[in-house]
Amino acid sequence: MKVRKGTATIVFEIITYFLLAFGAIVCVLPFIIILSGSFTDNTTILTQGYSILPRNFTFAAYKTIFYAPKDILQAYKMTVFYTVVGTTLGLLMITLTGYVISRKEFKYRNQVSFLIYFTSIFGGGMIPWYLMYANVLNMKGSTFAIWFPALMSPFLVILMRTFIVGSVPDAITESAKIDGAGHFTIFAKIVMPVLGPGLATVGLFLALGYWNDWYRSSMFSTSSKTWELQFYLYDLLNATTALKQMSQSSSISTAQLPTESVKLAMAVVATGPVLLFYPFVQKYFVSGITVGAVKG
Amino acid sequence: MKKTRKLISILLVLTMLFSLAGCGAQSAADSMEETTDSAAGTTAAADETTSGTAADSGTQEDGAAESGAAEPVELDTSERVDLVFYVVGDAPADEELVENAVNEILLEKVNATIDMQFSTWTDFQQKYSLELTSGNADLIYIANWLNYGQLAQSGAFEELDTLLDTVAPELKAIVGESNLNMCSVGGKVYAIPCTWPEYVCNGVKYREDLRVKYDLPVPDSIENMEAYLLGIQENDPSQGLLTVTTEESQGFFTGFDAAWIFNYKYPWVNPNGLPYGLAANYDTPSEVYDYWYSDDFVEDMKVMKRWADYGFWSKSALSDTNNSESYKNGLCVAEIAGQNPNKQITAINDFKNDGHDDWESVYIAYGETTGVIFPGHATQNGTAIVRGCKNPERAIKVLELLMTDQELNNLIQAGIRGVHYDLDDQGVYVDLNDPSSPKFAYEGFNTWALRNGDYKIPQESDIILNEMFDKYEELGNKTKFPNVNIYNGFSENYEAYAAERTAVSNVIKQYLAPLQAGLVDDVDAAVEEFRQKMKDAGIDVCREGYKEQWIAYCEEYGYK
Repeated sequence: MKVRKGTATIVFEIITYFLLAFGAIVCVLPFIIILSGSFTDNTTILTQGYSILPRNFTFAAYKTIFYAPKDILQAYKMTVFYTVVGTTLGLLMITLTGYVISRKEFKYRNQVSFLIYFTSIFGGGMIPWYLMYANVLNMKGSTFAIWFPALMSPFLVILMRTFIVGSVPDAITESAKIDGAGHFTIFAKIVMPVLGPGLATVGLFLALGYWNDWYRSSMFSTSSKTWELQFYLYDLLNATTALKQMSQSSSISTAQLPTESVKLAMAVVATGPVLLFYPFVQKYFVSGITVGAVKG
Repeated sequence: MKKTRKLISILLVLTMLFSLAGCGAQSAADSMEETTDSAAGTTAAADETTSGTAADSGTQEDGAAESGAAEPVELDTSERVDLVFYVVGDAPADEELVENAVNEILLEKVNATIDMQFSTWTDFQQKYSLELTSGNADLIYIANWLNYGQLAQSGAFEELDTLLDTVAPELKAIVGESNLNMCSVGGKVYAIPCTWPEYVCNGVKYREDLRVKYDLPVPDSIENMEAYLLGIQENDPSQGLLTVTTEESQGFFTGFDAAWIFNYKYPWVNPNGLPYGLAANYDTPSEVYDYWYSDDFVEDMKVMKRWADYGFWSKSALSDTNNSESYKNGLCVAEIAGQNPNKQITAINDFKNDGHDDWESVYIAYGETTGVIFPGHATQNGTAIVRGCKNPERAIKVLELLMTDQELNNLIQAGIRGVHYDLDDQGVYVDLNDPSSPKFAYEGFNTWALRNGDYKIPQESDIILNEMFDKYEELGNKTKFPNVNIYNGFSENYEAYAAERTAVSNVIKQYLAPLQAGLVDDVDAAVEEFRQKMKDAGIDVCREGYKEQWIAYCEEYGYK
């Protein structure tokens, strides 16, 4: 039997759906415009502006990008490499750290936690940060400079610690200990198996971080062959603006600068994989975030 | 227990203090993102770390200078030296290939190599400062737009006077005393400029074919420009006239691109006058006067209002983004802001490449009307040696070779002949690169500072450019300071009034831009409001600080 809805409920639902639809449009529309722009003829964009459906449909922009695909494929390869290795290393370090500071028998866990959390509020600033990597650790130009700064983030460590505390009751680890298990056994056999959603959340955060990063390439790369994809694209745009400005005061050759539609096509090429990847991890993502919501 | 608690609290307080100091550093870093000049402070800090070596070499040099002044000495090249040459911009694809070819020659001649390093165009100002702070480079590109003056003042570069005399007299000879003087800061030379005089005089480019078609006056003054635009509007109402935005006018001079047209009216020392609405004429640079609070300004704003009412630009011009391709695509019939001879060359080529053979672009420099014309300043393109460089002698020797050895100069500027370029019968540059992915374009290393007027391989466009330059040089010779760029050697230090400056910048965006775009109902009232807001923002403090420094600069270099 159907339950009849009251007028108030119906009104409420109409408003809810309206707001949700509006929110969805606000989120999706820009992307649709990017997508359609990337298929539009460049002069059409310049003369008539952007539109929701592509006018003068053409693959020209993608042809330009993939005409000399060596650079962009290289950047893709590097980003995948950075993301996979960085996420793996990061997960390893963060879960291990999270486990250690979640153990009550670790005497100095508060001090160690404090050292980690402290950096989330106070940092040395950009210049010392740069000098540390470039002059002290001598990482400039090496791939370590891309991974290293992002391996441990206080936020993710807190998240992981909370997750471990919440999903592995002390009684279980204690009983394992009584049965003669050491810390590594406990970690590998008891803690790790229940960490699924936590690993997915933290992993997604890390992976997105690596995928979207351009700043570390900008700071530490010395060869364009090691550039991350995002930096490769960002620098193309920056080069356009900089050369335009420069040519105002000096004679320099402004070689081939990317057109509007090429820029848009690049955005599509860069975001594509993340869009495909996201739905698969999303369900973990939500549960993982809620776990982290209670910090204690 | 109590003791440990006390100890911990003391430790905590200490860490807190340290981290607060850290915060201070961070804010310095933040402000540097806006402007590179706070790098002055950070390089000063870097100096402390390197001061040991720098001071040592300094005393040695002084000793050498005392005993027998500046005799050229034979450089000891028994030990191989690897130098880092830092430049802004992106690396060419064939970086390694050209680098190896250059190094082969350098090794043979002075037993040294160079490794080109590039800032890329992303955050290049910030990275440039960081490079100076970390001191990894030996040779570095400098320019006035990279704050050369202030950086030199704060000790970011090695002094070159003695080195030039002892190690690189040939370099000193080709650059010339007057060019070196323009690069000197506080009486010391810190950079070697390029030796290719360049005129970047701003002006207007317009469509000659349309002017002839409708029989309109040449737009060489404000009135004629108005007549030209009106004439086109009358004959072809659907034709776009100007695509002006705020983008070429960011800074402290103007708020809206159309206001550049007043350069036809005033013989100012610099296009758009001096910042903060000040102005000084080229003939009397040290006599600073006021523009924003003058009657001329009100008159000018009424012109802008009239133009806006005629519909010369779109009503949304203030929020439009700059469309640099509109002239190329025929969406506008003239460009009046941020133009220079090189952009004219680009326009000519664009029209030709796009098949608009019947379109003709003509360029008029503002100075052709006002009589004030001058070349680029020597600090526009230069090379310096970073303070703390371990082998300054070898570095300057390498720089000398790169600039004075024709083979090396051509190699580093144009790449390998037969691979990247070739010469035609007249000796003009022929590009062999695939245009969609150039391996090493003309000046592919962005070493604009190594241009040598005698060896520079002429490009096809250089022929038209040189014609223009010859014309400007002739005009420039008639000015009171023949062919001297006065303004661009000056760099402002606004630390003392940074807060007021920011407020002034906001007022420019908020009140001056709409005023200059003619998007106000009552010009007089809007001018009054703008002036009041400027006063409130602290314009007087900025002006005073600026005037003082500017006049001191004029006096130091004898611009009276």
